[in-house]
Amino acid sequence: MKNILIGIAIAATTLAACNNGNNKNTDATQKAASKDTSMTTQPSAMHDTTATQTAAAFPAKEIIAGYLQLKNALAKDNGKDAAAAGNTIATTLVKVDMKSLSEAQMKNYMDIAGDLKENAEHIGANADKLEHQREHFIMLSKDMADLIKTFGNGGQTLYKDFCPMANDGKGAIWISEVKEIQNPYLGSKMPDCGSVKETIK
Amino acid sequence: MNRTKKILLALLIVFIAIQFIQPAHNKAVQVLPTDFAKVFVVPNNVQSVLQNACYDCHSNNTNYPWYSNIQPMAWIMARHIKNGKDKLNFSDFGSYTSRRQISKLKGIANQIKDDEMPISSYKMMHKNARLSKEQKDLIMDWMSRTADSLSVNN
Repeated sequence: MKNILIGIAIAATTLAACNNGNNKNTDATQKAASKDTSMTTQPSAMHDTTATQTAAAFPAKEIIAGYLQLKNALAKDNGKDAAAAGNTIATTLVKVDMKSLSEAQMKNYMDIAGDLKENAEHIGANADKLEHQREHFIMLSKDMADLIKTFGNGGQTLYKDFCPMANDGKGAIWISEVKEIQNPYLGSKMPDCGSVKETIK
Repeated sequence: MNRTKKILLALLIVFIAIQFIQPAHNKAVQVLPTDFAKVFVVPNNVQSVLQNACYDCHSNNTNYPWYSNIQPMAWIMARHIKNGKDKLNFSDFGSYTSRRQISKLKGIANQIKDDEMPISSYKMMHKNARLSKEQKDLIMDWMSRTADSLSVNN
């Protein structure tokens, strides 16, 4: 009996200690392991495509596509689709290969991407809070407009729209692929509030 | 000794055993130059709300309550503090890019407005974190104004 109890206590202590501690250790092991595979074994098919994509160019088109998907979901008051699109943007950003950027691009990217990703993740995590998603969409749209300034429009004509009623009456911008106004901040309440401020060709 | 007693005793021993494994405390000795109060001119009434309602999880200094030394509370708190600081750390606010600072300031105002923060489990134990309407308005107003002033500068 006594032995069993001591055994349990020791087991608990060891378990807890593992749980408590060394994330660093696991991290290092994982890194080492991934390095290992990339050097010794053949890269997987998925690995391969990402490499060619990012080496070829900055994935502006994919990021913009994710953004437009998000914008259209919000215009339709669909928080669930908006969340999915937010997560898509965040995962696309993770795949960006920094080495393919020029120094000037890098500086802008580092400034924009952190904020963009955080806003996108937040929208992804709040599928049931449409208004909260829209609050983050204000900041995300600003990030997106700046990203497009640096990396271009991905070969597609875009429109920078402005709604004076959004953002508690302070106004907010968004980017759209269609000339016609489809307001992502007010949705079905006022779908055509706003105007085109700039055409990005 | 019957079965239930054995199990209870085992649980008790596990409980005692885990008391010896305490996570490191979130207590910084010095105030960083990147501290929120050094980056901005923060009025006292704003600062005191932040201190009482936010800093336990969103700064390098937690004011630990007595039960924080009892496991598994200490682990739960350590996790909350880590997550909190990952999202927003007032002690390190100056290290964020200005874009991110603006985003964070607006985010704070929104979280307060939507009653998402402080989280309810925290408010249950911390009376000071239950903000009055005036306190909420004060924080939202100050955060938005500061965010707007930064936006103009850039």
